[in-house]
Amino acid sequence: MSNNSANILDIKNIEVRYDNVILALHDVSLQVPKGKVVALLGANGAGKSTTLKAVSTMLASERGKVTNGSIEYDGNAIEKQTPSQMVGLGMVQVLEGRRCFGHLTVEENIISGAYSRKLSKGDINQELEKIYTYFIRLKERRKSQAAFTSGGEQQMIAVARAMMAKPKMLLLDEPTMGLAPQLVAEIFNIVKELNTKEGVSILLAEQNTNVALKNSDYGYIIETGRVMLDGTAESLLNDDKVKELYLGISKKGRKNFRDVLKEESLKKRSN
Amino acid sequence: MVDELLFFMEVLVGGLLAGTMYSLVALGFVLIFKASATFNFSQGAMVFFSVLAFCGFMQDFNIPFVLAFILAAFLMVVVGLCTERFVLRPLMNASEDTVLMATIGLGYVLEGLAQAAWGVEVRRLDLGIGDFPVPWIADNLKLFISALDITAGFVAAIMIIGLFLLFKYTKIGLGLRAVADDAGAASSIGIPLKHIMLLVWSAAGVVALVAGCMWGARAGVQFALVDLALKALPVLIIGGFSSIPGAIIGGLIIGAVEKVLEVYIGPFFGGAIEGWAPYVLAIFFLLYRPEGLFGEKIIRRV
Repeated sequence: MSNNSANILDIKNIEVRYDNVILALHDVSLQVPKGKVVALLGANGAGKSTTLKAVSTMLASERGKVTNGSIEYDGNAIEKQTPSQMVGLGMVQVLEGRRCFGHLTVEENIISGAYSRKLSKGDINQELEKIYTYFIRLKERRKSQAAFTSGGEQQMIAVARAMMAKPKMLLLDEPTMGLAPQLVAEIFNIVKELNTKEGVSILLAEQNTNVALKNSDYGYIIETGRVMLDGTAESLLNDDKVKELYLGISKKGRKNFRDVLKEESLKKRSN
Repeated sequence: MVDELLFFMEVLVGGLLAGTMYSLVALGFVLIFKASATFNFSQGAMVFFSVLAFCGFMQDFNIPFVLAFILAAFLMVVVGLCTERFVLRPLMNASEDTVLMATIGLGYVLEGLAQAAWGVEVRRLDLGIGDFPVPWIADNLKLFISALDITAGFVAAIMIIGLFLLFKYTKIGLGLRAVADDAGAASSIGIPLKHIMLLVWSAAGVVALVAGCMWGARAGVQFALVDLALKALPVLIIGGFSSIPGAIIGGLIIGAVEKVLEVYIGPFFGGAIEGWAPYVLAIFFLLYRPEGLFGEKIIRRV
């Protein structure tokens, strides 16, 4: 079942708790329009991963629970689905930290992504060839054990593996973590390509605000479990507060939150 | 001199073949350890339960041998199904220790059920293969080797080839290896953990049945089979907990070492070192090669 609304994902005021006690998300609402790339930005512990896991229903395995609000994906409410059911519905999450199957070869890793689909050997090979057109580097290393590939390659394996499930929507959790700038660009190029050529909608959690916004259509900034700011990628890139706090560009020389807080407290004291 | 060499060969080959019986028991452990990183304490009870059911079907209901075996195998799949549904699924997000404790409980349940259903007396299991030297080998090679040991060797070989093919070349095998590596990542790409759990517990059940048949034919189908599974512990420590070839080789090593030590060094200790020698060997492995011979080392990229 699919709906006619323009949003593939619609999160309304969700609250998430771990172990029934720890409040990780207070109030997060966000929309991902069909075929768009949306960036979810924020510092460590802001709630980016928790938001993604709430959507992919992976929260349960970490004893987390959506205690308020609603999530609608492709016209259906997400409630009691399991992660494998979500994959069946076309939503695949690429977990933080790549999480490749280290003892499997690169190719086995990628093929494992097609597990939820009923494909013949021939179909799988066809799909594989198509995937390799996006991830040329992986084709050269197809027979290597995944644990011995580089960090960038492992990130590509993780995305390629997710693509084998033929998703309508990808959730990417910090795909550029710990990668050199050149690789960051390469990963984002591939993500953009998958978005435009395969029509995959993407929700992307990132700390790398600048690169993420440059490759997205829309952005949300969350802090301590709340959406603080949202807007088109362009408007956020030009926003003074974003520039100052997340991009580190400032006329006054303030580089981070601590400086802002210090300045404000000084101001208060002098008053 | 030739006689001594022949005798040594006889001890060694006998030990190796007897070792395959340990391998069969250890295989069941490895299957479950691969998928859930838990030592399945109920494996011994599964051996006892399955082979007692097999005997019960044959002796109490007069079901023919082959059909009884198929029924018992089917029963073990049902046990696997129930274990997944009523033990593992509720504990899906619990820690490995919790699952470990649950397998101990499951062991008691299986032991109790088996005895409640089929009685407590020792049963004789006749596979039609005698536990006595094969005349042809005795005549031609001058080695006295039990037919049952040779059968166990063949059965173990067939099982390992079968399992290898299953894991390497089937879709569900790939799924199992993925889960063994990273269960969270596997579920994130839509590999349903419950199918994999069902597979390994059923496979471990059938392996338990085969191991139980071999041991039951030798020692009688009795409660002591439960403790026999403990012999699998040194086998696994030597072979590596997560390796199927490791379980086989580990079994062979234990079998050979315990027989050779018993015969040549045993007299100095007043005999019966068979019982503890494997554990001494296991301790050396724990000290110097804790991952075992074939266990998966934690791969870390430098």
